[in-house]
Amino acid sequence: MEAQKFMVFLFPSVSYTLKAEKIIKEKGVAYKVIPVPRHISSDCGVCLRVAVEQQGLAAEALQGLVTWERMVLL
Amino acid sequence: MPIIVDVRGLACPHPVILAKKAIAENEEVTVLVDNEIAVENIRRLAAKTACGFSVTEREGGVREIALVRTGAAGQPPADTDAEAVPSCGVASEKETRPIVVVLSDNHMGRGDDVLGDVLIRTFIHTLAQLKPLPATIICYNAGVKLAVKDSPVLDDFQQLAQAGVDILVCGTCVNYFGLGDQIAAGRISNMYDIAETMAGTARLLRP
Repeated sequence: MEAQKFMVFLFPSVSYTLKAEKIIKEKGVAYKVIPVPRHISSDCGVCLRVAVEQQGLAAEALQGLVTWERMVLL
Repeated sequence: MPIIVDVRGLACPHPVILAKKAIAENEEVTVLVDNEIAVENIRRLAAKTACGFSVTEREGGVREIALVRTGAAGQPPADTDAEAVPSCGVASEKETRPIVVVLSDNHMGRGDDVLGDVLIRTFIHTLAQLKPLPATIICYNAGVKLAVKDSPVLDDFQQLAQAGVDILVCGTCVNYFGLGDQIAAGRISNMYDIAETMAGTARLLRP
């Protein structure tokens, strides 16, 4: 079985992450709030993780509502 | 002829205890040990009881320690029970003491519940990456809310359980919150198990 690939959205602050979580949750996209992985540096310690197949859906939902710093493939 | 005390294969603190007993009863003792912690503990024993100490390397990692009483002939060394606490080393203690995580709330820390909610989720997610993994996770009071069907950390709990972590969920608490039909992780437990598990470790982790 191949390991599940994830995309993480990094935000400039915790409150951005929480706002994004709310939107993603309402859209019904499966997500998880996780600590920012050690190898990625970010001022905000938490980020939003979605399955890589759902990154388009997540990005679309967040577009224009919450700006993210970058997306990183895990 | 010194008497020979073979403590190879024995776990700390048995080697130093047996060495101490032997030198209390004999003028000269040869101790065979197979690890450095035992050597150091016996070296300290010798210093505290004013015994002569020498160590010789033998084949296969075996060390032969010669203990000789240097005090008044025929007098057993002074008893130093009060101070002679053998050190079994941080490493061995780390390996033997299980980590028990206590989740007494569905938030991490006090001050802000929105933040506390994010923190507890990331904490539990991170638990699954700990090495070694905790042996047990205990959920009580509002901590049991983390083990319900729609818990945001349910997948982490399932992953931990699959890896062999025992998750105890306080039955009284589940009953109090009316969550009897919603618990989806761990096993319902009682105060006997909870208190015994907590008392049985020196390493309690409380977020």
